[in-house]
Amino acid sequence: MSNDVWIVAEQREGKLKKVSLELLGIGKRLAEKTGGSLGALLLGHEIEGLAAELDGYGASKIFLCDSEVLKDYSSEGYTKAIVDLVKAHQPSILLGGATALGKDLFPRVAARLGTGLASDCVGLEINDQGVLVAQRPIFAGKAMVDTVTPEARPQMACVRPNVLPVPEKSSGSSTIEKVTVEIGPQDVRAKIKEIVRTAGEKIDLTEASVIVSGGRGVASQENFKIIEELASAFGEGSAVGASRSAVDAGFAPHDQQVGQTGKVVNPNLYIACGISGSIQHLAGMRTSKYIVAINKDPEAPIFQVADYGIVDDLFKVVPLLTEEVKKLKAQG
Amino acid sequence: MEVTRQIFWNVGTWARWPIYGLGLIVIVIFVLGLLKRIRLWKLGKPENRTDRIGKRIVSFLRFGLLHGRILKEPFPGITHLLLFWGFVILLLGTSLIFFQEDITLLLFNWTFLHGNFYLIFSFMLDLFGLLAIIGVILLAFRRYVLRPERLDNKSEDWIGLALIFLILVTGFIQEGLRIAVTRPDFERYSFVGWQISKLFGSSSAPAHAVFWWGHAFLAFGFIGYVAYSRLLHLITSPLNQFFRSFSPMGEVMPIPDIENQETFGVAKLQDFTWKQLLDTDACTRCGRCQDNCPAYLSGKPLSPKKVIQDLKDHLTSQAENPVKTEAEAAEVPPIAGNVISEDELWACTTCAACQQACPVFIQVIDKAVDLRRYLVLMESKFSPEVKLFFKNMETNYNPWTIGFSTRGDWAKGLDVHTLAEKSDAEYLLFVGCAGSFDERNRKVARSLVNLLNKANVSFGILGAEEVCCGETARRMGNEYLAQILMQQNVELFKNYGVKKIVTICPHCFNTFKNEYHQFGGEYQVLHHTQLLLELIRSGRLRSKGSEEMTLTYHDSCYLGRHNEIFDAPREVAQSLGKVKLVEMERNREKSFCCGAGGGRMWMEETIGTRISHMRVDQAASTGAPLVATACPYCLTMFEDGFKEKGMENLMSAYDLAELLERAVQD
Repeated sequence: MSNDVWIVAEQREGKLKKVSLELLGIGKRLAEKTGGSLGALLLGHEIEGLAAELDGYGASKIFLCDSEVLKDYSSEGYTKAIVDLVKAHQPSILLGGATALGKDLFPRVAARLGTGLASDCVGLEINDQGVLVAQRPIFAGKAMVDTVTPEARPQMACVRPNVLPVPEKSSGSSTIEKVTVEIGPQDVRAKIKEIVRTAGEKIDLTEASVIVSGGRGVASQENFKIIEELASAFGEGSAVGASRSAVDAGFAPHDQQVGQTGKVVNPNLYIACGISGSIQHLAGMRTSKYIVAINKDPEAPIFQVADYGIVDDLFKVVPLLTEEVKKLKAQG
Repeated sequence: MEVTRQIFWNVGTWARWPIYGLGLIVIVIFVLGLLKRIRLWKLGKPENRTDRIGKRIVSFLRFGLLHGRILKEPFPGITHLLLFWGFVILLLGTSLIFFQEDITLLLFNWTFLHGNFYLIFSFMLDLFGLLAIIGVILLAFRRYVLRPERLDNKSEDWIGLALIFLILVTGFIQEGLRIAVTRPDFERYSFVGWQISKLFGSSSAPAHAVFWWGHAFLAFGFIGYVAYSRLLHLITSPLNQFFRSFSPMGEVMPIPDIENQETFGVAKLQDFTWKQLLDTDACTRCGRCQDNCPAYLSGKPLSPKKVIQDLKDHLTSQAENPVKTEAEAAEVPPIAGNVISEDELWACTTCAACQQACPVFIQVIDKAVDLRRYLVLMESKFSPEVKLFFKNMETNYNPWTIGFSTRGDWAKGLDVHTLAEKSDAEYLLFVGCAGSFDERNRKVARSLVNLLNKANVSFGILGAEEVCCGETARRMGNEYLAQILMQQNVELFKNYGVKKIVTICPHCFNTFKNEYHQFGGEYQVLHHTQLLLELIRSGRLRSKGSEEMTLTYHDSCYLGRHNEIFDAPREVAQSLGKVKLVEMERNREKSFCCGAGGGRMWMEETIGTRISHMRVDQAASTGAPLVATACPYCLTMFEDGFKEKGMENLMSAYDLAELLERAVQD
């Protein structure tokens, strides 16, 4: 058993998920403590370009596992590939993202390897005994628990996306090692016949990292355009939300409703525009990382949960904000 | 000439024998039909409804014989009363004839239907027969000409009415024919028959025989028809009034010994109690429930009448295809989702307007809760909003995603102690989830605290130790969760020796008052409007209000209808200043729900009109710009309703505690 730390990089349809870089960041820090090296495992088909994207984030090796069977994600195929590679290389720590894919994949991998799994972690460190300590929120975030896998190896953990920082790209380069696993179509019993998407390009509210929400203060369906513009200025991963009263008034469709009787969201950034913040709305978004409130009424309850508050007319503030975000984005 | 009449005049005393025979046959038919229904009721589980016999007899007399609740609606009430008492007197008259001819005459050769008694007898029978005819004509007029929306017409309705009408008319005609032939002067007392007799000549004896027999056949046909039609309500409605529940209307019964149960709620008919099944047979389809149901009136698929009738049809189908084996029983699909749709079940606000309106005390809430219990506890079938509610309740003892440790934070900066700090307080102020967490309702809690402090009331709160009272979880069918919350509070109250509780929320109030005894918690429970009224009356709070204001008071279902507290909040309102209190059309026991009860607060209302919007319109039509409330749910629904309807600049809603705080300020 080595001291190596492995992360499983996540890609979908040839696009690398941001959590992969976050994993590299924490993986690097852990590897420094264990004295091992950091490896990144990339699975898929015709993804050499992606391996290059991983380059420079601290991994000494990028294991590229290319197989036609691995083109689309499948629980069985990916599990077999990872398990075989882990058995062959014996890393001490195996990390993945607590994404929809990760939540499906890693429990299976852990079971096959006969080891434990700390799911949905928000922090990882190595203790004095050199054991991985994973921090996980429990009881709906009211308490944190430290989880260790004392004996079984590898020590596995899934890390919540958007919690850990993306590391700076350094000049150091990784070697790309092509690995093969014995895997064929017979290993994947569930076949993907078709991928059906929900209508439109919009991402699901609960997965968005930035949500711009409009309330009754937006006053009409047409005006909701400025909310949409601000959201799209943030680019990928952003979405438009609405309060119940805005949905009621017909400004926005019901699937955008945030709150007790709508969706419960926790993006990195939640911008509430013209939302007074009834408790029913707060119940759906109060766990967001940063909350920005824009409202004319300084007494509005939304300001009590907001990290930043702007007491002004949203029709003035939102377009300005859109411009600024666009400028910042343009600067990179 | 002796003042009497020959009973088998013209038809001959031999007629006695075919009448006996026919009578026996129809009685057997009637009894068989009734037994069939009784066997169906006995499918249900046992339930003790033979306690408090005295009270039950009074209930039967008052609501059955005297039509207590039926008369709440004058037109259908009085017409039914005419028909009912007409029939009762005619039945008594016929029984007297039977008693004389077949008992006293045969056994003792004694008759009593002569002389003055006969004259009174004749007059009374004609009078009540006439009243019954008026009744039946008016009822038919209402049903088939006025056609109120709440009545659905089935063939049994017109058959029943036609039978009654024909029995009465043939009775009078045969009487008229008899008098036309015999012409004794004293028969003027049979004033209807006397008038009819003028239409006929003295040779009407053959026609008399025809009508006499016709009348007899119709009457027997009627008796035979009773147990196979809605006429069964002659039996079942009085039974229901006799066996009715004397528990407070707001009390939902617990699932006893829940830890050791293997099934929860009602999946099939056999899971109801016999009384719940009798309810379905006691229903006359009068539709008063439906006329008062906020869910029905706002376009939801729920009608209490339909629920009861669907259960009745389901019960009847059990008679036609009885389930014999366990395996067959397992094949019967559960009631919830099949006989009664899930949308119907979740639409109920448990406001009890239906139960208040029902002349025969049919209960609907118990059945809705039992069926929800099945959906929730057996099948985990509920909407995502309900799931979130349960999850939040389980983790944080409040409906929102807010940590329980912050429950007492609303009181920061106020002169309030927790019982942990000061355990000798007279009252526990149970703040409730809304008062603890919702910014808007925190204002109400703060106002109340200021008032209580001003009046030097000794009280304490539980702070972070308080957990939801369990009312809503229980009404949403999650009895398990409700019992956990309730038992937790009972233990907590016991530790602090709580004896008197004052609540802000009528839902907490109802639960403490009517349900906590199920878990050993007996307290003196006051709603804040009651305590405030006491403080005003005793001079501990003095309103300095001199402002002229017009307001309307909205009765919360759980304060008003469920607990009959109608006057205390109104008197508090009157004390606010120069108050003109205008009532909404639906007020007091006929008040209209705000739409948030029964867990509806936590569900999206996607079908039909919002109930709260209807109530806002009702309030607006009084012309009062101010709605006084006494319940956090109602307050929220009104304020949201005003905003949603763009009326927030025209109307406002405040809790009475807030209004009183303003009025007592120096």
